[in-house]
Amino acid sequence: MIAKRKTKSRPRIGSGTAPILSFEGVVKRYGPLEALAGVSFQVHRGEVVCLIGPSGSGKSTLLRCANALETIDGGRVVLEGVEVHDRRTDARKLRRRMGMVFQNFELFPHLTVLRNVAVGPTTVLGMPQRQAAERATELLRKVGLADKAAHYPASLSGGQQQRVAIARALAMQPDVMLFDEPTSALDPETIGEVLSVMKRLADEGMTMVVVTHEMDFAKRVGNWIVVFDHGKVVEQGPPQQVFDEPTVQRTRDFLSHLGWHGESLAAADLLVQPSSTDP
Amino acid sequence: MDIDISPLIENWQFILTGLGFTLALSALSIALGAAIGLVGGVLRTYGGKLLDSAIGLYVDVVRSIPVLAILVWTYFAFPLVIGESLTPFSGGVLALGVHLGAYITETIRAGLTSIRPGQMRAALALGMSRFEAIRTIILPQALIRMLPPLGSLIVIAVKDSAIASVIAVPELLRQSQVLAGKTFRPFEIYTAAMLIYFLICYPTARTIDRVYRRLGVLGAS
Repeated sequence: MIAKRKTKSRPRIGSGTAPILSFEGVVKRYGPLEALAGVSFQVHRGEVVCLIGPSGSGKSTLLRCANALETIDGGRVVLEGVEVHDRRTDARKLRRRMGMVFQNFELFPHLTVLRNVAVGPTTVLGMPQRQAAERATELLRKVGLADKAAHYPASLSGGQQQRVAIARALAMQPDVMLFDEPTSALDPETIGEVLSVMKRLADEGMTMVVVTHEMDFAKRVGNWIVVFDHGKVVEQGPPQQVFDEPTVQRTRDFLSHLGWHGESLAAADLLVQPSSTDP
Repeated sequence: MDIDISPLIENWQFILTGLGFTLALSALSIALGAAIGLVGGVLRTYGGKLLDSAIGLYVDVVRSIPVLAILVWTYFAFPLVIGESLTPFSGGVLALGVHLGAYITETIRAGLTSIRPGQMRAALALGMSRFEAIRTIILPQALIRMLPPLGSLIVIAVKDSAIASVIAVPELLRQSQVLAGKTFRPFEIYTAAMLIYFLICYPTARTIDRVYRRLGVLGAS
């Protein structure tokens, strides 16, 4: 476990060791459209890598390529020595190691909150119902929703649903968590509760790849920022560099388009003051 | 017109036998239709192009032929194909089940395709196989969503069982015909038969509707 991170000047975690997840020249085409045109970057254990960039620049596609929900047309994705897209690789075993959180939550509406979290362990790992329920209860407590265990997802707010979705992914005890714009579908007032759950996960040392438009989160929690544009990585580096001294014009354009001018953050903790995270 | 219900009272066991056959014929043809529809719907949706075309052919053929023609063909012609005669009852179950199966196949397919693809992705992302995902995540939601049309099909199946009277299955309508011919009391007897069909079908429809009202929200992803 990694000790609590300092807010400023974090070194790249584990950069001396082999990456847990690496993307090497990943290409993905949809007909004539090249959604990913040779994307390369690495994720080290315990690191929070944030993928930013305009909509349609390939960030979400890349995330789906990471756990083989999409096939790729070139390059490779490697999870600790295992080729994700190799024919001989068992995609199901691989996906157990990577938890995924979706923009639209994708909770299972016909299952209670508890069953949503427990269904992975019972179905995939064959865990006995009682043991899975215990694990689920513990995870729901962790995301602050133990009292909602018997509810159905439809009766929860967006922020609560997304926290359940995080618990559901954690129930498989993954090595890496993939977040696909986890707060983009949320009301502004519930964004903060999801971000703070994610920040706590990061503080516990979870390896995370986060596609996000929340620049405050990326800057405060991210260890490594990867900037996408038109299916390419235009810049990557530690947050201080990308946000405060972007070397590439495209990054500057993108950030200023979001109203980010490189100034330091306000004193208030934006992660618990969700309304101020609005761009 | 004078009304005399004594033929009904005197022959209640005869009518009851008919009701028994109607219920048995309905239940078994619904069970067969549901089994065909469940497998057909899932395979048509997830089984690839070849199975989709093959099952599509079955669905289109069955839907293009009157159920009465299917019944008569099954009872009188099909035995020549297999070289084995069928009892009226098993012929009735087979014909009605195969007929119903086509409609249930399409209904279940519609339900499955209506579940947004993100649900399958979420299930796969947890490490489930496609089969596990369909069984535990997609199909239950599809069935809940399709409860109203499935309910209609079930009620129609009960009513369609009356068609089996033409191949002399001693079900409710057939028994009523026989009794009416014997007693010259068609008004009383056919009215009673109609009433009995209504008393089976109406509560069935209402029950399914009530269940859907309670569960419907669970199919809304």
